[in-house]
Amino acid sequence: MSLAWLIPALSVAAFVLLTFAGRRMPGGGAIVSLAAVAAGFGLAVYGFLDLRAADVEVNVGPGPFAADFLNAGDLSLKLGMVIDSLSITMLLIVTFLSFVIQLYSVGYMRGDPRIHWFFAAVALFTAAMLGLVLANNLIILYVSWELVGLCSYLLIGYWWEKPSAREAAKKAFVMTRIGDVGLLIGILVLFKATGSFEIDEIFTQLRAGAIPGETVTLAAILMFLGAMGKSGQFPLHVWLPDAMEGPTPVSALIHAATMVTAGVYLVARMFPLFVASDAAMLVVLTIGTITAILAALLALVETDMKRVLAYSTISQLGYMMFALGTGSVTAAMLHLGGHAFFKALLFLGAGAVMHSTTGIVDIDRLGGLRRKMPVTTWTFVIGALSLAGFPLLSGFWSKDLILNSAFAGGHWVTFVVGVVTAGLTAFYMFRVIFRVFFGEARSDEARNAHPAERLLTLPLVVLAFFAVVFGWLGSKLVGDPFGRFVFAIEQIEAHGESIWVVVLSSAAAIMGILAAYSVYQRNRPRAASIRAAAGGVHTFLAKRAYMDAMYQWLIDNVSLTLAAFLAMFDRRVVNDAAVDGVGASVRLSGRALRRSVTGLLYNYAALMVVGILVLAIGLVLAG
Amino acid sequence: MIEAVPLEHVVLLATILFGIGLYGVLSRRNAVAILMAVELMLNAVNINFIGFGMYLAPDPTVGQIIAIFVITVAAAEVALGLAIVLQIFRRKSNINVDELDLLRW
Repeated sequence: MSLAWLIPALSVAAFVLLTFAGRRMPGGGAIVSLAAVAAGFGLAVYGFLDLRAADVEVNVGPGPFAADFLNAGDLSLKLGMVIDSLSITMLLIVTFLSFVIQLYSVGYMRGDPRIHWFFAAVALFTAAMLGLVLANNLIILYVSWELVGLCSYLLIGYWWEKPSAREAAKKAFVMTRIGDVGLLIGILVLFKATGSFEIDEIFTQLRAGAIPGETVTLAAILMFLGAMGKSGQFPLHVWLPDAMEGPTPVSALIHAATMVTAGVYLVARMFPLFVASDAAMLVVLTIGTITAILAALLALVETDMKRVLAYSTISQLGYMMFALGTGSVTAAMLHLGGHAFFKALLFLGAGAVMHSTTGIVDIDRLGGLRRKMPVTTWTFVIGALSLAGFPLLSGFWSKDLILNSAFAGGHWVTFVVGVVTAGLTAFYMFRVIFRVFFGEARSDEARNAHPAERLLTLPLVVLAFFAVVFGWLGSKLVGDPFGRFVFAIEQIEAHGESIWVVVLSSAAAIMGILAAYSVYQRNRPRAASIRAAAGGVHTFLAKRAYMDAMYQWLIDNVSLTLAAFLAMFDRRVVNDAAVDGVGASVRLSGRALRRSVTGLLYNYAALMVVGILVLAIGLVLAG
Repeated sequence: MIEAVPLEHVVLLATILFGIGLYGVLSRRNAVAILMAVELMLNAVNINFIGFGMYLAPDPTVGQIIAIFVITVAAAEVALGLAIVLQIFRRKSNINVDELDLLRW
């Protein structure tokens, strides 16, 4: 599989081609990036088959390919790739989703004047994500990581004419940057401890016990900080809802299926490091749990369809993280894959709704779209059912695996939170469904909605299929092929599975759906009265738990104060005192010394005498 | 036999004369007077040389030869100096050095 480097390389080539020549191409050159990604998918499938055939003891491990990349002193960096079950899985998911979403974008973004740049940026993003997944050393990983963040910035701010889009792009980039600093420092800590940036080398030393415990914990937590930023874990989650300013395909690809899963991937890839440190596992578990439930609560009060989905993404990422925290890479990755499909499906469905109603995304102004847009409606429902963990759909299997892992590991709090959040998830998703697709249309745009075109609905159907089917790969009923393919050696297996897990999570999902039905479909006034009764709580959630306000306060009072101080320092001390001061001192001293040049001979003679005297006395004193 | 003059006395005389000459250079207003004071300083230096020549040199004529050199140079210098002073007088009708400050800043 030494051709694996082609997978990202083709997309890079597409990016370059589209940036420079895309404007002149028909359709903005979408064909180029579509072809690159399709080829990438083909290669990934080939690699997958190759990996299976090689019958390697598949695990989260190193790859055999390396080429010298950088030689600085006695640091030699080899550019290589990891081809193992984890990276193949991600490759397949990323290429497939990128392809499907780009196909959708051809229809969705039609007519946009800068469309060639859209596809160029998506191609670059895909390339970076693929590079991240294939990286066998932490430097390439970090570079790809940053590149992915850059593409996110570019694509969120795609419609940069909108000030809100610009702000959102900045916010996303800066917040993930905070996490990235943690990642960088973590990488450097590991380098200091092991002398290497290569992942397999680090693991070898780790397993041999050559790295002290505190260092392992420190490095793991720092790297997790990076994952927190990218994957929108509490408290670095606030950029995700705002990132919805970007075009919907961007939200689907980057902020649902791929970029945000980079954090989960990082933890999975560096799993041996995390498992070696109880403290780090606890941190991952806790943050994941908090994120899961907080985001679900925040989704309850959002009226913007895309924002609900954004919070839902954050919540599901929380699930994936705490799955890793309970020790199961399999569960996290299964959920990652399933989530990629059904979340992308949901976003694309929301996009279809927006496209059809000239941009309305506020659930209070929609309604009754079921009759106008049947395909969209039912694929959306399938996606929501899968997300909620309705029995037998994809989400059910992966959520079950995660909750089992929590239950069997004795993490009661996490388990309860997981079940409750499942119920909340079902509730808020079906709240959206009942408001948007059922009932009566509440605005003219909704009344005049037209069915989505084929280019939009085809991806929806494809994704719906996978949203149902993918999770089955992890089901014991069919022999759990996924679990036998993707796992980590140090994984903590969940023993003591209980029927209660299945029962509780299914019950939570169904109850959530029924609750949403009763509040929103049957008796509309109930929603208003509930809101009135829960006044304070509702406001708290609607203001996003005041996190945005808190961050703004921090920026205003801490950052800007510091910045003002530094600006003053730069102006007064560096410029006025140091630079101008030197000039002034020269000038003033010159003016003073000038007065000795009188032009009068006897003055000069006197100075000569004084000078000679000083020299003579000096010579005598110096002996 | 007349007693030889002690070296200290010769040097003292030279110093006093030098000092008087120095004072004259620094404080006189008239340019010609300054030149005269310079001559006085040069003569003091000559006395010094001859005195040292007699007492400390292997051959007393060394000091005398140096003194003759100095006299020669002094003569040339005064000639030049008086020529310059003459030129100044022609332009300004007085040779008050206080007024010669064209090279002032």
